[in-house]
Amino acid sequence: MEKNKTSQDSIKILNRRSFIIIILGIFFSLVVAVRLFSLQILNFGFYKKKSLENKVSVKVTPPLRGDIYDSNKNLLAGNTSFYEFVIYKNLNKNYLKEIKKINSLIGLNLNIEEIFKKLKKFNPYSAYTISKASWAQIVEFEKNKFLFTSIKIIESKKRFYPYKNLSQIIGYVGSSSDSSYLYPKGIFHIEKGYEKHLKGSPGKIFNEVNSKGKIVREISIENPIKGNDLHLTINLELQNYNQSLLPISNKGSIVIINRLDGSILSMNSNPTFDAQIFEDKDNDKINELLNDSSKPLFNRAFSGFYPPGSVFKPIPALLGLQKNLINETTEVVCKGHSSIDDRNYYCWKKRGHGRVNLKKAIRESCDVYFYELAKKTNINDLANLATNLGLNQIYNLGLSNAQKGLVPDKKWKRAFLDEGWYLGETLITCIGQGYNLTSPLQLANLYSALLNGGKYPQPRINKNTEIEYLGKPFENHFQKILIDSLKAAVQEPTGTAFKLNNLHPDFVKIGGKTGTSQVVRIKEEEREDDLYKTKEIEDRFKDHSVFVGYAPLDNPKYIASVIIENGGSGSSVAAPIAHKALNFAHSLNV
Amino acid sequence: MFKDIKSLLEINWIYIFLLLIIFWIGEINLYSAADGNLEPWALNQFKRFIIFLPIFFFIIMLQPKFIFNISELLLILIVLGLIGTLFFGYIGMGAKRWIRIGGFNLQVSEFAKIALVLFMAKYFHKLNSEKTIGFIKALIPLIISFTLFFLVAIQPDLGTAVIILILGLIAIFYAGINLIYPIISLIGIALASPFLWTLLKPYQQNRIMIFLNPDLDPLGKGYHIIQSKIAIGSGGQNGNGFLGGSQSSLDFLPEKETDFVFAIFSEQFGFTGSMIVLGLFLIFFLIPILKSFKLSQVFNKLILFVLSFKIFFEFLINISMTIGLVPVVGVALPFMSYGGSSLLSNLIICALLINFMSITEKKRMFS
Repeated sequence: MEKNKTSQDSIKILNRRSFIIIILGIFFSLVVAVRLFSLQILNFGFYKKKSLENKVSVKVTPPLRGDIYDSNKNLLAGNTSFYEFVIYKNLNKNYLKEIKKINSLIGLNLNIEEIFKKLKKFNPYSAYTISKASWAQIVEFEKNKFLFTSIKIIESKKRFYPYKNLSQIIGYVGSSSDSSYLYPKGIFHIEKGYEKHLKGSPGKIFNEVNSKGKIVREISIENPIKGNDLHLTINLELQNYNQSLLPISNKGSIVIINRLDGSILSMNSNPTFDAQIFEDKDNDKINELLNDSSKPLFNRAFSGFYPPGSVFKPIPALLGLQKNLINETTEVVCKGHSSIDDRNYYCWKKRGHGRVNLKKAIRESCDVYFYELAKKTNINDLANLATNLGLNQIYNLGLSNAQKGLVPDKKWKRAFLDEGWYLGETLITCIGQGYNLTSPLQLANLYSALLNGGKYPQPRINKNTEIEYLGKPFENHFQKILIDSLKAAVQEPTGTAFKLNNLHPDFVKIGGKTGTSQVVRIKEEEREDDLYKTKEIEDRFKDHSVFVGYAPLDNPKYIASVIIENGGSGSSVAAPIAHKALNFAHSLNV
Repeated sequence: MFKDIKSLLEINWIYIFLLLIIFWIGEINLYSAADGNLEPWALNQFKRFIIFLPIFFFIIMLQPKFIFNISELLLILIVLGLIGTLFFGYIGMGAKRWIRIGGFNLQVSEFAKIALVLFMAKYFHKLNSEKTIGFIKALIPLIISFTLFFLVAIQPDLGTAVIILILGLIAIFYAGINLIYPIISLIGIALASPFLWTLLKPYQQNRIMIFLNPDLDPLGKGYHIIQSKIAIGSGGQNGNGFLGGSQSSLDFLPEKETDFVFAIFSEQFGFTGSMIVLGLFLIFFLIPILKSFKLSQVFNKLILFVLSFKIFFEFLINISMTIGLVPVVGVALPFMSYGGSSLLSNLIICALLINFMSITEKKRMFS
């Protein structure tokens, strides 16, 4: 009985102890439940996001870049296919052997050690480019295809520039610096300026990947959207023709614009380059180009700045008329020089022009007439008018290295040279020398402004932009005087460019103004003198030959602005080139 | 040796039904862990289950008296087996844990848990006279528990060794040791823990450090915990649906068929599914224990209590491991983790529980 009692007590202890453990067990079950609640209910969003990040990889597919066309829908920049040898590490463990094999078999000239080094860290499921593949190499590879399991040929797109003569307008593309978006990015000229328009938007392939980065399945695809095409105002034929007009031995530029709507029809510059070498990654040629001292990348049409020379003269003339400093009949006697204090300012014609009125002054490019006018001219008024007529401006055409140039005034001189303005400087500014710096495109616009009576269409290169007008109109009467004078400079026997009529009597009749952009100052008196070019002077000291003209004579549409560096006088070099260019444009009727 | 065939009628069929449900959930889970394939795990585990069924029923039919009689012998065999594993063991995952017997790789340590409990049950049954047990009386069970712990720990398999030790200590606690001793030992362990820390292998220290802060090594040792938490957390309330778990199907989760099998389940079936499994295991735990309250023989009570506790304890430890509550210690989820030894030993335990739940006690049952 006693023993039985202790046994009963012992069982009570056992049951009590088990009760404690059950309580503990339920308590820990609750802890687990609370923890699960926290993970799955409270922090569900956090872990769901992590889970999605774990499993989705996004592959960007580059969009096709928009094409660029000329005004006649000729393709100037497009996309073309090219082929590459790529390797997928996951397809063969002995992929290194395959690289050696393809190198010797097809003769790819690879830097094998460097490839090995880079491949080591490369995702085994992605394509690694070994080398470009030429047609001959592809044929050779296809014959021996059974030897390779990890090496494949893939097709990619690159930019295609069929016309070398357009490179200085179209520019080129390069690889984007953003390494995850390996598609072309415009880095020069139109390709850069119209990057947003041309680039399109990349597609995305969302893949489900496993922990090793292997694609398990495709979740969704967003197709890439091709960039917008761009239609330029440039005329391919005119551009090509004008390039052939530029003398190979001289740097220079020809710009043709349509003064009725502001369209830029051609912009040539010599020397030029071939943008295709950047797409072909032809490093030798690229280095040669970048180190070329004649700067072929530089389009002189809008980045070349020169003193305009006598083609500037219509501006002081207009200002003189507007300010009543002169009128149609005001005469000056040119004895070959003008003077302020003890200093002489020479006319290019040593003997002098005799009695000169405004029309004669422009026709025969008399400097003394403008010196005398300059003595009464306020330089700030001159700068304002020049700006109003299209100088001193960037036109925002999307072209690289475009600059404003320089139309000097008192404020500018104080700010940049920390000096006051001298009257003598007004004299040489009025004949387009001194501090004046203009580009051929700006000069073309200046004449567009004159021919349009002050309010002129803003130059444009994108055909699909609206025509916008710049400038303030000036008096019709003054315009008539100026145009009459410009006409006389070519059409009247004493005009500086009259001989154009003898050279090409069958060509369209033009008006215009010759100019000589001075390189060395001491030869001031020799400007525009045809004897000059026979003198033995080193080419680099020769003046730049300038001409701005328009055609047709009675109803002007085309304006040509030509500069030939170190070409000599405007009448002998630039004017005939401009005449040919205008004639061709006129015959094309672009 | 065997019970009367009629005793099958006394079997707790509800318990067997629960066991089948849990095993069935485990099978579905292994099927989904293989991305909806019976290979390589689900079918194999099912074959094992079928092969083990005769053993299961064999044990159900054994006379308790027979088990009582052979319990010391079993313990001796297990100790020899553990020593044999150390010498002739098959090396896997940096440890000698398996021994090859008749075409099976057996993890003897799994069976050591059973043998220890049977031995304890018999030992304390024989002591059946006192109110509480003093230190001297608990000495032999303690020595045996620590011996088994040591033999398994040097394999090394600290996770299993700790479970064995805890089962031994629970048995001693359950049998009625004076409460002073457990309290003293807990205080002692707390004081000695800095010293114990230096005894751990660097990888074990690492696991604990990474358990405390998995971000220390997100791609290395912390990877398991982080990925497991992502899988479970992204399951949300109702889960991603059957076969809808991306973490598992995309191989982000290592050891997904063994230690981290719960993460696979929870990712698919969410909080709701997790709670159902937790509830099932809780009921599965309580059924034998409720029966143990009705019994008075220490041998029967202790077997029912401690063995049932074993399954539930391993369940809790495994889940706590996958949700970052305890360090990764390598404890299988009963009936759900892929693995033969764990399945066999748990089936044997269930068979023993079913056997002892169906007995009607008579006086002098084990004399």
